[in-house]
Amino acid sequence: MSLSKPALRALWASAALALPGLALANTLNVQITADIRSSQPGINRDAGTDSVILNVVEGLVAAGEKGEIHPMLAKEWTVSDDGKTYTFTLRDGVTFHNGETMTAADVQWSLEKLIRDPEFSCKTFFDGSRDAKVESIEAKDAHTVVVRLDRPDAMFLNYMAQAQCGSTGIVHRSSFGEDGKWKAPIATGPFQFGEWKRGEGLTLTKFAKYAISGEKPDGYGGRKEVLVDEVKYVVVPDTATAVAGLKSGALDVLPYLPPGEAAKLSGEKDFTIVAAPHGGLVTMLFQTADPLMSNVDMRQAIIAALDTAQIVESVTYGLGVPNNSLVASGSLYHTAAHDKGYTYDPAAAKALLDKAGYKGEKINILTNRRSAINYDTAIIAQAMLQAAGMNAEIEVLEWASQLDRFNSGKYQIMAFNYSNRSDPALAYQTVVGSKAKKPNTVWDDPEVSTLVNQALQETDQARRQAIFDDLHARFLAQAPLVMLANGLDVGVSGPKVKGYRTWQGFARFWGVEKSQ
Amino acid sequence: MLKFALGRLVSAIPTLFIVSVAVFGLIRLIPGDPASLMLGDLADADALAAARRSMGLDQPVPLQFVIWLGNVLQGDLGHSVLNGQPVLDLVLQCFATSAWMVLIAVGLSVLIAVPLGMAAAWKQNGGLDLAIVAMSTLLLSIPTFWLGLMILLGFGLKLGWLPVLGYVSVTRDPVAGLIYLIMPVATLVLHEVGIIVRMARASTLDVLRLDYITHARAKGLSESAVLLHHAARNAFGPTWTLIGLILGNLLGGVAVVETVFTIPGLGRLIVDSIYARDYAVVQGCLLFVAVTYLLVNLLVDLLYPLFDPRVTAE
Repeated sequence: MSLSKPALRALWASAALALPGLALANTLNVQITADIRSSQPGINRDAGTDSVILNVVEGLVAAGEKGEIHPMLAKEWTVSDDGKTYTFTLRDGVTFHNGETMTAADVQWSLEKLIRDPEFSCKTFFDGSRDAKVESIEAKDAHTVVVRLDRPDAMFLNYMAQAQCGSTGIVHRSSFGEDGKWKAPIATGPFQFGEWKRGEGLTLTKFAKYAISGEKPDGYGGRKEVLVDEVKYVVVPDTATAVAGLKSGALDVLPYLPPGEAAKLSGEKDFTIVAAPHGGLVTMLFQTADPLMSNVDMRQAIIAALDTAQIVESVTYGLGVPNNSLVASGSLYHTAAHDKGYTYDPAAAKALLDKAGYKGEKINILTNRRSAINYDTAIIAQAMLQAAGMNAEIEVLEWASQLDRFNSGKYQIMAFNYSNRSDPALAYQTVVGSKAKKPNTVWDDPEVSTLVNQALQETDQARRQAIFDDLHARFLAQAPLVMLANGLDVGVSGPKVKGYRTWQGFARFWGVEKSQ
Repeated sequence: MLKFALGRLVSAIPTLFIVSVAVFGLIRLIPGDPASLMLGDLADADALAAARRSMGLDQPVPLQFVIWLGNVLQGDLGHSVLNGQPVLDLVLQCFATSAWMVLIAVGLSVLIAVPLGMAAAWKQNGGLDLAIVAMSTLLLSIPTFWLGLMILLGFGLKLGWLPVLGYVSVTRDPVAGLIYLIMPVATLVLHEVGIIVRMARASTLDVLRLDYITHARAKGLSESAVLLHHAARNAFGPTWTLIGLILGNLLGGVAVVETVFTIPGLGRLIVDSIYARDYAVVQGCLLFVAVTYLLVNLLVDLLYPLFDPRVTAE
């Protein structure tokens, strides 16, 4: 006799009931498409790794939903009048996962260790080669940490809160072995780092002594109340297998699903689809140094030929939000001025082509298969450009090859995604600069560079807003690239899960419940 | 026997050298800079240069090869750029995972396919023969990813009999591990049976046409005696060679099946490392695969006399 699944479950439930005291751990099973690279925050990381580790570690400050900076391990801070000295007052009662109480000396040690590490992903944010240099970190007393910079830097706190920087997470020195090598994070977050079986997956367990503060979750900060016993990440590279796992109940959450796959599940009851734009950029880049693309009328013609709202609707299966501004949809700086975007006008496109003197030259769009959004964008854009009389063709590259072309600047048009940027100034900084210095620069304009640098130094919100508004107007006029939307994370949670939502690309598991 | 084995091992050395040069060169011919891949869209010139330096990619390629080869000869295959692990540890761990699956699959395939092939040959052109040949052609033609996915969806999801996810190593939990392997092994078995059965049939047909079989029948022996006592051993020789080739190939990784069934084996490691341009791991894996292939074929040749006494080790 063969046992069906319900019968097997019944047997297991009976066995569980028959054994007094035996309780099943409330485990949230989560798919990851690739194993994490390491458990050390900010070092040897990628977006997937950050998304796991930031459930475990915390920094002095944390980025909120709108990109604003919130207290986290520091309950407050002051900045000196010259903008060069930050004085952080630590929260009381914060405990490391090993039971030790966090002190200013721990913070000093951890920050020094991290930002001076040659492998630190955000080294250039703090060593003066890009922005202000951190001159010193001092534990003034048990509850106060003083950080001194060599010059004012309005982005300093944003850098500290960056996911790519591991949120400059504070770890206890016992995270390192006697030999000085990294072991595993002994940090302050609501989850503890559990067992990691390389290639298979890892487990995060609830930190029972976590010091909860705040009223509700807010980005990487706010209230971090863990409602499950553990989160088990399972490495499942294949999307079809992962969906089968979700349907069979072996998986509870698929945090990153291609939009098309998620759309297929939307018709089924019990599955909750969550889609949220983050600070990344979904774009079509122009190489403005290219003979054809150097003509602003040519670029404007291409933009007029593209129905960007329709493209976003199609490539995200209705889940995305069009945004033609480099200021993210969710940012507090995204005002009505930034809702002004491109106008789809095929007739105007033809007129602009004539003005540009276009004679049917080949237009090459580079794309890849790694991102379904990039690939679909290129396909639809090609059709729209051809409809407007442009000789557009597509070249599909493997991601590593496309990245080479991106870094060397050898392309005409490229469907490309930038990873998350938590502040508009960082988004502009990413694409603005000098091609001579940095070949992957997209927008090469000295005046614009000056404005971006001002935004990076400015702390006043109203003045920053004015700068961003000015930048956006120039962006629309100069058309250095096509901004389609912010990066989109599409996740699906199963019937037993409540409260899961993605945010800024972060699969956040505090505040998530699972019924048994 | 020993002299033969040693001779083969010595002659393997230039083969391995050629393999290592080919592997080393080919991985560097693929476009895609490991440093770019590591930094993604956060790259700038200084960061790229630093990353290349730390990976040793700023050295001339021939010098990189000499350094790598020198390390390999000391048993050091380098470290993964992706996760910092020693390549040898990574390879052995993933190989063990793949090997369990492959050895079980090949063992079962042989047990199923050889008798079927012989039966088909015996009843050549009859209904049984046609059925077996048609079935093997069908199994041979189905891609393993589709077959694997159908088995996964059918038995794992629809019927709920077998685990869809949750790989457990056989060495950690033998029962759970073997249960998990049922579907991937079934996928491999169905595919390999299709190949082996045809070879077994063909070689059995060849043997059945030989004079000594006619002589055996003339002596009045029963058909089963003719098949089992006289034909089987000789027919098995060519099939044994094929089995060795199949085993060598599969031990080098079954990336597709490993991906569908979420098994962290050698094949998947190789594919993932290529995409990540993790040179050290790719080089180490492919060198390991070459060594495995050579050893498996050596073993096959050494065992050949068991089936064909005319072939001796001298």
